[in-house]
Amino acid sequence: MAAMRDGEFAALQSLLKAPSRDAVRQLCQECFSSPPTGLGPLARRACPGLALGADEAEQLVSALHNLTRHVVYRGLTRAEDILSLFPESFHQNLKNLLTKIMLENISAWRNEAQANQVSLPRLVDMDWRVDIKTSSDSISRMAVPTCLLQLKIQEDVALCGDSPVVSALTVELSKETLDTMLEGLGRIRDQLSAVANK
Amino acid sequence: MGLLNFTREPVPEAVSGDMHNLSQLSTQQFSELTEVLFRFLMEPKEVERFLTQLSDFATMNKISLGPLKNIVKSILLVPNGALKRNLSSEQVRADFIALGLSEEKASYFAEQWKVNSPTLTRLAVGQTLMINQLIDMEWKFGVTAGSSELEKVGSIFLQLKLVVKKGSQTENVYIELTLPQFYSFLHEMERVKAILESFS
Repeated sequence: MAAMRDGEFAALQSLLKAPSRDAVRQLCQECFSSPPTGLGPLARRACPGLALGADEAEQLVSALHNLTRHVVYRGLTRAEDILSLFPESFHQNLKNLLTKIMLENISAWRNEAQANQVSLPRLVDMDWRVDIKTSSDSISRMAVPTCLLQLKIQEDVALCGDSPVVSALTVELSKETLDTMLEGLGRIRDQLSAVANK
Repeated sequence: MGLLNFTREPVPEAVSGDMHNLSQLSTQQFSELTEVLFRFLMEPKEVERFLTQLSDFATMNKISLGPLKNIVKSILLVPNGALKRNLSSEQVRADFIALGLSEEKASYFAEQWKVNSPTLTRLAVGQTLMINQLIDMEWKFGVTAGSSELEKVGSIFLQLKLVVKKGSQTENVYIELTLPQFYSFLHEMERVKAILESFS
């Protein structure tokens, strides 16, 4: 997230027209969470509440989006670091308010960014059941235990937006397969411990 | 012919004739043929090899291949049915005698059946239907250093590739797990293992 341009800080001063501190807080939240493509509609929604023209609203929303994202990107957690982003001429009280709002939200916003980052489909849930196979067309009497594992997998969040696609995959494992799998998982655990202990 | 153990359906006409011919073989010849048959039953995919061995047997013992194949077809009816129905060696012996094979040869075959049936049973169980069988699992884990949204991250990710057999094709499924999810998954799988072991 590139650093802010001076023009953007100018746009931020439109926030002085906001009806309340809470309105500013709310707008900060929405601007951070919105993807770049959602900023247009967000600006249009914000217009009336802030008594701003369409252009002004768009510039404000875009600037606020960039500012909040920049702060999260850099991982700024100290007030001084955030305050120093603003130019000298910026309205003092507004600067302090924005800094305060960002400090309040930075941790939640970081988690949100991490949750939405690019990744392979994610495991969201897992269920299992053990069945005993008693008969089949190849052999009429047996007692073979087998495991059915259901994995709920969510597709990449970035692709699905607000409606995540979750698919369920049911896999059957024989005892031998499970043993081999556990060997592999055990090796992962050992390597993780080795990394953690370094 | 009384009730047979290995099948409920009527046996083809040709079988008694084939059994009679089979009885004509010497003890040595019968034992060789039985060996060829069981080798095939243990590895049913090795059809080429089986046919070659039959043809060699026919040549060495001066028997025509055609009739030999018919005999073999008749013999195989019994172990195949016996496997499906979990028959004991006494039942197999009784069936061969009922079909017209000499007592000596029937006992010999039943003895071979007893020796080989655990392996054959395991093979049959292995052929039992499995839904979306998991055949392979690959994994990698690493650290996310940064992203377009967060300059410094430092979180651990684990990626699994599961190879699943769907019908005759395989499908690769890629999933990512967080560390807590991984430990929870490992814990659950260990529970399953304990349960599967208690049933064995």
